[in-house]
Amino acid sequence: MIRLRQLAPWALLLVFTCCQNASPGLWDAGLEKKADLLMRVEHEEPRCFAEGMRDLTCFWDEADGGTPHLYRFTYTYENEESNECVVESQQREGSETRYFCKLLKVQLFGLLDIRVYRGETLLYNRNLLINLVFLLDPPANLTVTRTGKPGQLKLSWLPPPLKYMENSMMYEVSCTTAGSRMEKVVQGNTEFTLRSLRPGTEYAIQVRVKPDGLTYDGYWSDWTLPISMRTLPDDADPLILSFSVIISFILVLLSLTIFLSYRRFLIKKMWPLIPSPENKFPGLFTVYGGNFQEWLGHSSGGLWQRPGFFYLEELPVMLEVLSEATMSPPVQIQPGDSRAPGLLKETTQENEDEMLPKADSGMEKKWDPDLQENWLMDQFQVLQQSSTPPSQSSLLESKDAYVTLSQNFDQHPGEGKLEDISEESLPLHVLFGTTETSTSHPDLGSLPQSSGSSQLSSQSSFEYPHNTWPSKSLTYACLTMADSGISTDYSSISSSRTGMECIYTNDYKNQMPKERQPLATPPTHTGCWVQEQHNSSPT
Amino acid sequence: MLQAKHLKILLLAWTRLGLPSPLRPICDPRVLDRFIKEARDTEFAMRSCSEGCSLAEPLSVPLTSVDFAIWEKGDVSEPQKQAQEVQSGLWLLAQAISAVRVSITSTALHSLLDNSHSNIHSIGQVIRSLNFPEYTPPADGTVHEDTWRVSSTLELFRVHTNFLRGKVRLLLSHAPACRRDST
Repeated sequence: MIRLRQLAPWALLLVFTCCQNASPGLWDAGLEKKADLLMRVEHEEPRCFAEGMRDLTCFWDEADGGTPHLYRFTYTYENEESNECVVESQQREGSETRYFCKLLKVQLFGLLDIRVYRGETLLYNRNLLINLVFLLDPPANLTVTRTGKPGQLKLSWLPPPLKYMENSMMYEVSCTTAGSRMEKVVQGNTEFTLRSLRPGTEYAIQVRVKPDGLTYDGYWSDWTLPISMRTLPDDADPLILSFSVIISFILVLLSLTIFLSYRRFLIKKMWPLIPSPENKFPGLFTVYGGNFQEWLGHSSGGLWQRPGFFYLEELPVMLEVLSEATMSPPVQIQPGDSRAPGLLKETTQENEDEMLPKADSGMEKKWDPDLQENWLMDQFQVLQQSSTPPSQSSLLESKDAYVTLSQNFDQHPGEGKLEDISEESLPLHVLFGTTETSTSHPDLGSLPQSSGSSQLSSQSSFEYPHNTWPSKSLTYACLTMADSGISTDYSSISSSRTGMECIYTNDYKNQMPKERQPLATPPTHTGCWVQEQHNSSPT
Repeated sequence: MLQAKHLKILLLAWTRLGLPSPLRPICDPRVLDRFIKEARDTEFAMRSCSEGCSLAEPLSVPLTSVDFAIWEKGDVSEPQKQAQEVQSGLWLLAQAISAVRVSITSTALHSLLDNSHSNIHSIGQVIRSLNFPEYTPPADGTVHEDTWRVSSTLELFRVHTNFLRGKVRLLLSHAPACRRDST
């Protein structure tokens, strides 16, 4: 009994000394987690890490069934004696055994020589500086708050509670959203503001820590538990509003510019320009109010150089403008266009060329009634050969009037006097007269005539042998004069001038000069040798 | 004339006595961090040293290992001792680097060595700025305690780097002069 009591303190001492350098023997879940983490990044055996300023844990795995007493762990600081650490083991799944050793008194900044023996053979030998193998706990107290701006989150956390390492830490922030993960390294600070996040989305935030590598170094700690936070939804973003306003403004400007540049084009399309021969008849409308006769008398000489106008003066008698007469498109007659002056000039020329190819020779000569008569006969033949007179609603309805006296005009290029008109009107009468007497002109028979036209019948004063003419209110016109749309009344002109015919450009439908005297030289409006039908309503 | 000379001497003596330490305490940890970084770079460069990198004779270098428990105790009880320990260690390192500078032939390493040498002097200035007592090197040129001998330049610069990381940094970061300013 006395021996036991004596022995007890020694035994206790023995126990204490035995366990002095031994590791505490606890391999908890935290250590297990860190060890697994280290397995991925460190490949030098034995794997060692320091959790704080005063410890070092080293471990290695073997598949030998768990015999820690076989191993010897020795460590030697620079310029010191070697020490030994008791190896402990932790059984893992399968036949794997994890052997570890934890040092509780460590020295930093000095080289540590670690050796692991299995029996007598050296298993591992490693030199390390403990201040370079830190594996810390994740940062604590991670808080995520909204800053009040959409797409921003403010983070803050606590640094590792290590006294001499406050300014030597490096953190990494990870924010995860559906499908994407973003990581950012933060130096030194324990708070951070995430910017440029998507508004109205949920993010999971995590942080981990590692020494910055200058004085202390180590491995990345484990991630903190994720904290979810939803960013503020995007309020009516003033930027988007301003952009849309600017874009609409630009579009309006563009459309205005286009409209202005194509203004003329658009105006033309919407308000088409009605052509007017006003520029060809200077002063006709402005000075003389449409009084063509007066205008002719006072017009400039430039007009006289135009054969059309010249011939207007010259041979008015021969010209008759069909007002409502329907007519077949003359075989060789070209319909005039809407430009009366030009038409006058052109159609006269054309018609001349077309109508009287044979009469050209005659045209050069002086006006000869006989020649004229022959020529007219030829023309009648031509007409006869042409198609039947068209229906009433024909060209003239379109207000085309053909000039028919072009031929005559050409015959007297030099003459431009009104005095000749009466003389020239005579040939018509003569012509008609001859035709009247000579009733054996079969060609003439094809000429349709309205029998009911009292005026013209007297006017025409020639009887056609054939009475099979269709009673149509048609009159042929060698040429139809184009109606330029001028609404001036020319009918008065023709009526005032006896035996003088002018070329009309307007619609005569309503302006048939009823007061026309049945003179020998009646003023006719229609084609030279064609009578005007009056059975229809006066046009 | 004699009185003027005397006056001049007196004036000079007064001004010298009257002048306070001009150095403001250098408490920014980034200063030392820069030195540590350069020491680390020099250590890495020494790994590629091929010519003249083995020392003719071993050089005395300070101990670098720090036990925090012991250090904290010493910080409280004998802060001056720690300062002396650091300064003597720096002096030893400066001596060793000068000796190595002579034997190494590579010019690139020369620049690094010169830089390390000037850095050690700068750290001495920083320590002086923190109002630590001045260190006087031993007359015989040898330090007997807390030293050991290295036989390669690689060892030397590893010691150099870790000495700065450990003892020097701990001394500077917990200097009373800086602590008074921060708090």
